Amino acid sequence: MMDDSVHSPDDALQPRDASRSSNTVTVSLTLNGEPVTLEVEPNVVLLDALRERLDLTGTKKGCDHGQCGACTVLIDGHSANSCLTLAVMHEGCEITTVEGLARDGQLHPVQEAFLEHDAYQCGYCTAGQMMSTVSMLNDKRIGSDDASVKEAMSGNICRCGAYKNILSAVQSARAKA
Amino acid sequence: MTESIIGHRTTRIDGELKLTGKADYAADHNLPGQVYGYPVPSTIARGRLVGLDLDAARQAPGVIEIVHRGNFPALQHSDNNPACGSEGRLFHSPNTMAEQNKVGEARLPFEDDGIHYEGQYIAMVIADTFEHARAAARLVTARYEEETAVPGLFQTDDEGEEAGDEAVSRGDPEGAFESAPVKFDHTYTIAMETHVAMELHASNATWDGDRLTIYESTQGVVFQRNAMAQIFGIPPEKVTVIAHYIGSGFGSKLFMWPHAVITAVAAKMVGRPVKTVLSRQQNFCSAGNRPASRQRIRMAADRDGKLLSIRHDSQNETSFVDAYTESVGSGTPRVYACDNVSVSQRRVQVNHGTPTSMRAPGEVSGSVALEIAMDEMAIELGMDPLELRRRNFAERDPSADLPWSGNHLRECWDDASRRFGWEKRNPQIGSMRDGHEIIGWGMADATWEAMRSHCKARVELRADGKVQVACGTQDIGTGTYTIVAQTASELTGVPLERIEVKLGDSTLPAGPLSGGSMATATTLPAVAGATRDAIEQLKQLAIADGAPFEGKEADALTFENGTLSDGSQTLSFAELLDKLQRGMAEGEASAAPGEEQDKFSFRSFGAHFVEVRWDPGISRLRVSRVVSTIDVGRAINPLTARNQVEGAIVMGMGMGMFEETEYDSAGNIYNNNYADYIVPVHADIPDIEVELLDNPDYNFNEFGVRGIGEIGITGMAAAISNAVYHATGKRIRDMPIKIADLIASR
Repeated sequence: MMDDSVHSPDDALQPRDASRSSNTVTVSLTLNGEPVTLEVEPNVVLLDALRERLDLTGTKKGCDHGQCGACTVLIDGHSANSCLTLAVMHEGCEITTVEGLARDGQLHPVQEAFLEHDAYQCGYCTAGQMMSTVSMLNDKRIGSDDASVKEAMSGNICRCGAYKNILSAVQSARAKA
Repeated sequence: MTESIIGHRTTRIDGELKLTGKADYAADHNLPGQVYGYPVPSTIARGRLVGLDLDAARQAPGVIEIVHRGNFPALQHSDNNPACGSEGRLFHSPNTMAEQNKVGEARLPFEDDGIHYEGQYIAMVIADTFEHARAAARLVTARYEEETAVPGLFQTDDEGEEAGDEAVSRGDPEGAFESAPVKFDHTYTIAMETHVAMELHASNATWDGDRLTIYESTQGVVFQRNAMAQIFGIPPEKVTVIAHYIGSGFGSKLFMWPHAVITAVAAKMVGRPVKTVLSRQQNFCSAGNRPASRQRIRMAADRDGKLLSIRHDSQNETSFVDAYTESVGSGTPRVYACDNVSVSQRRVQVNHGTPTSMRAPGEVSGSVALEIAMDEMAIELGMDPLELRRRNFAERDPSADLPWSGNHLRECWDDASRRFGWEKRNPQIGSMRDGHEIIGWGMADATWEAMRSHCKARVELRADGKVQVACGTQDIGTGTYTIVAQTASELTGVPLERIEVKLGDSTLPAGPLSGGSMATATTLPAVAGATRDAIEQLKQLAIADGAPFEGKEADALTFENGTLSDGSQTLSFAELLDKLQRGMAEGEASAAPGEEQDKFSFRSFGAHFVEVRWDPGISRLRVSRVVSTIDVGRAINPLTARNQVEGAIVMGMGMGMFEETEYDSAGNIYNNNYADYIVPVHADIPDIEVELLDNPDYNFNEFGVRGIGEIGITGMAAAISNAVYHATGKRIRDMPIKIADLIASR
């Protein structure tokens, strides 16, 4: 289903005037535990770098403005909207995407909880919901009661409205963590 | 098999793909040689495009092509443009449901120089990267001859054009109204809403000679294939539309929008795959909306609460490039027993984006007005609003002179009111308090027609022990993959782990749109038929000359738990196929509604009970509790079915309290993003307790299912408004309810 070839549009094309698009910066970072080096123009946001250059398309674009949370990833362990940050800002950073949650073929407890509680419908906001959950469960400042969880998760919109099940999944994952 | 999997809580078979980021949505496809499309939208809402300055964009880094009216294939007349089709021209799609080629907007992109709404495409830049395409698109400048935009429905006196086929009348509604002892005449409005599905509309088109393959975020691969074939003048079998996963649509992705046509033309022009992902802002302009509606309801009853007359006359917005009728009153003649009813609908053309179906199209808007009106009638009569509804229960479908196949509304009322505690309601306005907060309790009925369409499916029992089911419908998040697998598992006895489901590809046997709550009732009978056909073919293979069951009658063989048996010999289908050196036993089937349609009226019913809390000190309104009981026949998968209703309730909260696409007088949307167009978020979500009655509707199909996607949103905003009235005494007839409405002096 997914195309296996890793595709880099920058390399694949010969722009008419190559000198105009050679304004790239080298960025080295750790992505899901693996070292990665990127050559990107400075205005490439992290989300587009992940999706369009590294084929890590599990992280979704819902608004491109930091309003919906679909693009949430972990940067050095903390949740962040990957659409609101430039790739070049993450030299040396450790970035975890939804593709990095499962380990050795074993789903992360948050993934298992989302599966069991049907904490999604279309699945498009799900990566962001789960990354925020992982971050929140590690954040001692956020209470464990339902109201605190709902407040903390409100940056992640689910237009399908599977909020009740997401809350159940979050609390179930907390209990198992 | 020992236990039925139909009706059993089943986690999604595609769940792990969605949870690991492997589910492939349209924009997730990155094809070799792919380039990027970025549209240039009109910044005016009405006028003519008189000039485009493309020079700066052409000089920008990475730009490969700019598609615009000057180089776009002309409509239906030959020119020398080599871009598309053998004659370099395009055609209109016939744009019909019957031919399954309906599109979102009849006008082709760049068809003329007219500008009909803000955000209409005036060009699309094709560049090597997304960033280059976006940057260059912003360098395109346009010159317009601007005209004064026709403002929205609520700012115009235009009566609009009558949609004649919507008109319904029975009895003498006018006479009955005039002579009735209790009556009122009120007007209700529903603001324009936008679907804002999380997934942005996206197309990724590739041509191989005269064959087009397009990954699209669509609720209808077959419809889009047919429309594309018509527009490009090529046979449907040369068009493949793929939508394995869809980040939902709620109607906005039922029918193809112009960006897909531009993307396909661009791919032809540049000879490469072109991927276009619309921005959120663009999605608001040119991918449909629930049109604003204004509804006048004249309702009359006798003093015992018997409804004597309902007249429901509505208007909806449409654009200048497609005539969209929102069937606002479609439920009104059917829900309650009333001898004198009329419904009419008018369309008013405005310079807003073209509307389309949005979850429970028409009927939800109508149900909100009707269910508020029922509450108003209860107040007029001094009667409990639930009791008023009980007194007008329709024993038969009053609009069709047919018996209901199954109307369990009374059970819904009983169950939901009991769980809610409705009998403890003090009817006096503002009488129920909890500290600073005034509590309001309101209720409304929910209803949605049960529909079914044509469907084909194919099933393969494979030598590797797997069962593959294929159907050209989609799973938009509703759980279609899983219920199709449950169906095949039920009939074969093969566990879910060994069932593969292929959906979302127009080359598969033609399946239905994922819309109208009809995909389940439409698809499963075809899947069942194909499964039985495959089992029958397996039996025929088994009894053929030289086969393990040679000489037996096919009917004497049983097929259970994936194994074929004649009582003495038992072979799994994999073992049998292996012995026969066959790859598979294949079955196909086609299913369609039949004569049951002439015998029964098929409609689902339910009831919402809502608690709101109004804190007048800080002017805060919250929905604090929702208890709903819904009858949809059988729920194939209660886990995903309940999720559908809960999600629809949440969207109904949005309709009642938040959602409004706002245009200024020049026709520009000023809340075209996820921060300013407010939708419910985690913090808004109250306790939601949904029960689904389990009354299989076997008159409708062998599984007893009627569909579930829409019903939960109907009536919901009315239940909130009615609860607000109970708390505050403020009757809000304009959705969404605004705090300003509640703090205004009476």
